[in-house]
Amino acid sequence: MSKIFYDHLINFEEIEIVIRNSSGSSEEKEELWKVVDEIVHHRILGSIFDRLPLHHHQDFLERFHKSPGDESHLSYLQEKIEDDIEAIIKKEMEDLKSEILKDIKKLK
Amino acid sequence: MKGKLPAQTYFDIDTKRVDLDVLRQKLKLKHLEVKNTFNKKYPHVDRFFKEKGQDLGKIREHSSRILGAGAIAGMLFLGSPSEDTKLLPSPQEILSGKDSENSSQALMVDTFKSVLPEKPRPLLREEEKFLEQILSNMTGIPAKASLEGEHLNTTYGYIGAEQHLIRYPGDSLALHSEDEEILKSGIAPGKGAWGYFAQSGEKLSSDLAETEKWYAVVQTLYLPDWNKRFVYLRDWYKHRKVLIVNTDNGKSVVAAIADSGPAAWTGKHFGGSPEVMDYLGGQKYKKGPVLVFFVDDPENKISLGPVEYNNIQVAGVLKNTSSY
Repeated sequence: MSKIFYDHLINFEEIEIVIRNSSGSSEEKEELWKVVDEIVHHRILGSIFDRLPLHHHQDFLERFHKSPGDESHLSYLQEKIEDDIEAIIKKEMEDLKSEILKDIKKLK
Repeated sequence: MKGKLPAQTYFDIDTKRVDLDVLRQKLKLKHLEVKNTFNKKYPHVDRFFKEKGQDLGKIREHSSRILGAGAIAGMLFLGSPSEDTKLLPSPQEILSGKDSENSSQALMVDTFKSVLPEKPRPLLREEEKFLEQILSNMTGIPAKASLEGEHLNTTYGYIGAEQHLIRYPGDSLALHSEDEEILKSGIAPGKGAWGYFAQSGEKLSSDLAETEKWYAVVQTLYLPDWNKRFVYLRDWYKHRKVLIVNTDNGKSVVAAIADSGPAAWTGKHFGGSPEVMDYLGGQKYKKGPVLVFFVDDPENKISLGPVEYNNIQVAGVLKNTSSY
């Protein structure tokens, strides 16, 4: 049940395929999955804090830390940011996916 | 139409391997760059996590610990239901309105529609207990959400198509099936999470061949105590039988866990071998909602593969679930 409230907004299937096809073992594959996971968290939180007014940062951090999987964080953010937060996260993830795939393409 | 369809992009990527060390280096550099940029821009966030003794990058592990601490089970069971939690009818209520000539499979699909949330999510314990009874009675397979104290991260999620697994050194795709459609899925370049199934082709028993044929993938890497209890859990999960049920059509298969994954950022929670996926949804089935429950089979009497529904009458189901 390990989930983060924005998991359902990410689809990096193409990156998973590259990692899977490059890894010789499950440990190698999982190591790279975790590196990508860490990149994802920083980019998504960055895109949130770029838009969330500073005086709400502490409150959001407390909420997020208390319950990282609670999808009601999306409604909370929606209310404070007044933009479509799901669309913002999806766009951020599409951009990140393109950047990573572009980097990988240069390696071939 | 300009550009490529997603499937074509997929194929391009799939056919080209990248050197693992170079890929690792590239991803780690990207990670450092993203993390440094973030910490410079939001030092108070970095400070917040440091004060908590944590790292934003490891938030998934933190989430696992919270959910796995045991408190969550109690909270989920005793707390007020979330917005998308349907009030469960009794099995009798569900079944009493059904035409007794309905097939068991159709009846089960109707039941899923009545009790499952619209979008897959981890189920409440009471929902799981209810489904255990329904699944056990309708399929004859003793299905358990928790078995010997172990529980998957979720029992209701999306399954995705996997490739064949290398069974022994020197194994080749062509040896996996005579069905050309099944072979089109390809074979994974690396071994599964539990290594080879056998040390050679001669040592591959028919049971092990069946295990690869009907294999399942679950996210053991995200289990809350995977690292802490690694040795025990690795053995416990190896080839553990699970019942996978396509909640859209009721098709069910008993599979054996033989690999770890998929990554959390794929939008999927489970994986199925080409044969599993073919049975659950046909040749074009690549992703869909499923229930995954452990099979309680201490004497190893239940075969892997497709599940035949009990040809029982509704009255029989009612009788068997009356204790719920």
